[in-house]
Amino acid sequence: MWSIIIKALPQLIAAGIKYTLPMAVIAFIFGLILALITALVRLSPRGGAFNIIKVIFRFYVWLFRSTPLLVQLFIVYFGLPYLRWAPLWPNGIKLGALTAGIITFSLNTGAYASETIRAAIASLPRGQWEAAYALGMTKRKVLQRIILPQALRVALPPLANSFIGLVKDTSLAASITIVEMFEVSQQIAAENYQPLLMYSLVALLYAVVCSLLSWLQGHLEKITSRYVLKRP
Amino acid sequence: MLKVQQLTKSFGKNEVLHQISVDFPEHETTVVLGPSGSGKSTLLRSLNLLEHPESGQYAFDNRHFDFAKGITAKDTLMIRRQTEMVFQDYNLFPHLTVLKNVMEGQIQVLGLPKKEAEAKSWELLKKVGVASRAQAYPSQLSGGQAQRVAIARSLAMQPKYILLDEPTSALDPEAELEVLKVLKQLHEENRSLVIVTHNLAFAQQVADKIVFLEDGQILFNGTQEAFFSPKQTSRIKTFIQAMTFAQI
Ligand SMILES: Nc1ncnc2c1ncn2[C@@H]1O[C@H](COP(=O)(O)OP(=O)(O)OP(=O)(O)O)[C@@H](O)[C@H]1O
Ligand SMILES: [Mg+2]
Repeated sequence: MWSIIIKALPQLIAAGIKYTLPMAVIAFIFGLILALITALVRLSPRGGAFNIIKVIFRFYVWLFRSTPLLVQLFIVYFGLPYLRWAPLWPNGIKLGALTAGIITFSLNTGAYASETIRAAIASLPRGQWEAAYALGMTKRKVLQRIILPQALRVALPPLANSFIGLVKDTSLAASITIVEMFEVSQQIAAENYQPLLMYSLVALLYAVVCSLLSWLQGHLEKITSRYVLKRP
Repeated sequence: MLKVQQLTKSFGKNEVLHQISVDFPEHETTVVLGPSGSGKSTLLRSLNLLEHPESGQYAFDNRHFDFAKGITAKDTLMIRRQTEMVFQDYNLFPHLTVLKNVMEGQIQVLGLPKKEAEAKSWELLKKVGVASRAQAYPSQLSGGQAQRVAIARSLAMQPKYILLDEPTSALDPEAELEVLKVLKQLHEENRSLVIVTHNLAFAQQVADKIVFLEDGQILFNGTQEAFFSPKQTSRIKTFIQAMTFAQI
């Protein structure tokens, strides 16, 4: 048994380093940027024509939260090539598997994380905005210096949840031909007829990564909560 | 000089300030009095443009603005920079230390170098008597300390006017005394202050001018001698009696 594990482990780890982790990290970064923009648009007090933009972002959040991630991956990778529209895409939208995966994971994470960030910003007292505005800060400064640092503390645990979820969800990319960790475990299992062992091994690898992330989360929570009084 | 004329402000259908005209002389302490809900906070917040009255004129030094036409973002920043606000519940920035709370506006708004802002902040924290807590976070302060830090934060911006909305209403009498001492000192330095308060004893000591609001209208606008004079109208006499618990 050990010889099988020792043989499979390097291949799994290599796939993890080459695909699973980069996909998760890149998609999370894009997702966060998208989430922040979405949250700010939806919280903006601006009305008028801006309402159209708000509706578009609301639709985006609704779309990605209301459909399964696996289906989203299939639409982007297998479906979009059939979206033929003469002015822009006469031959449909053909994306590489990795690009399609990262785009879908980013959009999906962005939709969920935008709700987290929106709630975190909305949870701050109005007085924080007012005190910062009264000093004469621009809205940009108020957000950068006063609101977002405080919102980050509130949003950190749910965002860490999203990231951990994303790391595991990248295993769905196996279904769009990406040879990430889970796909490699399937290939090895098909060769050595040890599905229980192989899938347990890959599960363990996911668990190790996610445990490290949980630990990191705890550490970051401590840092960002420095200023909060500890409960007795 | 800070002055409003014919200022009208509504929240939805509820008109809270009705065509108010009043000026706040420079280097003087104006105390705004009035029963709860009379519009004192709304008036003060309008001066800092945290509220946007729907009509009226606003004069700041030689600049004149019309609320009905709106005030540009640039002018809003200019006015806010010159009129600092001190809130009843302090509104310190909880994620910054006391020292950084006082430094923040100097760096981000005035564009001062960090060193200079820090030196200035220490000086101001000493002035209000909380220098020993400079490295603490706001959550670790008592109410009286927090409010004095908020006053230091507003002084740091070197504003023309400081607007204080019930700065001591959340404090116990001893903490209140500490804050009032600081305010009295500012008054003696001839700063331009506008203070909303329910503390008549304090008003009597510092007010150069008193404005009395009721139901969004100014019932009195004049010297404090006239306000506390025995010849005062019965409405204001009743108010004074209530506030000083003269008749229980
Ligand atoms: N943001 C708001 N939305 C709706 N109504 C408001 C708002 N702020 C104030 N009001 C109303 O405006 C009126 C005046 O309020 P304001 O806070 O200015 O009174 P105040 O004189 O400061 O009272 P207090 O002594 O209780 O602080 C009140 O009737 C209040 O309910
Ligand atoms: Mg008030």
